[in-house]
Amino acid sequence: MKQCDNKSGMLPECAPLAMSYTPPQQSSEPAYESKVALSRGTLFPGLDLPFMNVVNKPDGLSTPLCELMALDFVVQELKLYLDTHPDDEEAFEALKTCIRMSMEGQRRYAEQYGPISFDDVRFGDTYTWVDAPWPWQHRKEG
Amino acid sequence: MFVYEKKLQYPIRIKNPNPALAKVIISQFGGPDGELAASMRYLSQRFAMPYADVRGLLTDIGTEELSHLEMVGTIIYQLTRNMKTDQIKKAGFDTYFVDHTAGVYPQFASGTPWTAATIAVKGDPITDLTEDMGAEQKARTTYDNILRLSDDPDVNDVIRFLREREIVHYQRFGEALGNVTDQLNRKNFYVTNPAFDR
Repeated sequence: MKQCDNKSGMLPECAPLAMSYTPPQQSSEPAYESKVALSRGTLFPGLDLPFMNVVNKPDGLSTPLCELMALDFVVQELKLYLDTHPDDEEAFEALKTCIRMSMEGQRRYAEQYGPISFDDVRFGDTYTWVDAPWPWQHRKEG
Repeated sequence: MFVYEKKLQYPIRIKNPNPALAKVIISQFGGPDGELAASMRYLSQRFAMPYADVRGLLTDIGTEELSHLEMVGTIIYQLTRNMKTDQIKKAGFDTYFVDHTAGVYPQFASGTPWTAATIAVKGDPITDLTEDMGAEQKARTTYDNILRLSDDPDVNDVIRFLREREIVHYQRFGEALGNVTDQLNRKNFYVTNPAFDR
C-alpha cells in the first residue's frame, strides 16, 4: 500500500544500528511515457534527480531505432524494479506488455533496416550482420 | 552467456570532434569508477552471492554496465574522429595519441591503464552491496564533474542519461541490501557471513 509520495518510501520506525537503509520504492507507478523515460534516464519520476536540474528533452527520439530503444529501456527499468520487487503483479503485467511491443517493434525494424539481434538476419535476403552500421559509427559514416 | 544487440542503449550523435574532452571522458571507460570497472565488479560478485534476487540484480545491472561501456567508447570514438595533428597537439591529446592513435583504450584520465585494483569482490553480501552503492555514487560524481567540464550539448545529453542510471542503480542496490538484511538475524547482522557459513 502506498503511504508516501512517489519521491519517498517507508523505513522501519526502529531499525537496527550499524546498517544502512534505503527506503524501498513503493510502486512502479507513476511512470513516464517510454520516450520521456529514455530521455530522463529513468522510468520513474520519483528517482529522477538531475544535476543542476538540467534535463534532456525527448524531441530527438522519434526515429524508428529510438522508439525501439525507448521500449527496451522501459523493459530494463521494469526488470531492475522487479528484481527487488518480485511480488509486484502490476509491474510484471506492464513488463510483459512492453516485452511484446518491443519484440514486435524489433521484428518490424529488422525487416526494414537490418538486424539488431543476430537472429534477425533471418528477415533478410542476404547476410547483412556485418554490413549494416555498427552502433558507435557516426550516422554520416553510413 | 551473452548475446550482442547491435544498438546502443541511448542514441549518440556527436557533431563536433573534441579530443581534449575525450581525454577526460575516457575515465568513464577505463577509469577508477568507470563502466568497465562497474561491469566487472557486478558480474564477478554475482558468483558467490547466496540470494537469488541479488544474483539477478548483479547480473542485470552488470549487463547494463556493459552497454554503458559501449556508450562511453562511442563518445570517445566520435570525439576523436577526423583529427588533424595540429588539433591533437593543441588539445593535449598527443600523450594519448602516441600510444593509441585514435584507438579506444581503457585507461584513467590520468593515463593509468584500467586495473582490477579499483574494484572489490569481498564474497560477503553486505560488504559487496555496500561497495556497489559506493561505486554508483562515485560514478555519479564523476559524471557530475564531466558535466562541469563539458559544454558540448551532444555529449552532455548522453552524460546526463548515464548519470541518472547511477542513481537508479544505487536505489536498487539499496533495496537489495534491505532484502538481504530481512533474511538475516536482526539481533546481529554480522554473526556470520551468509555467503560462506551455510
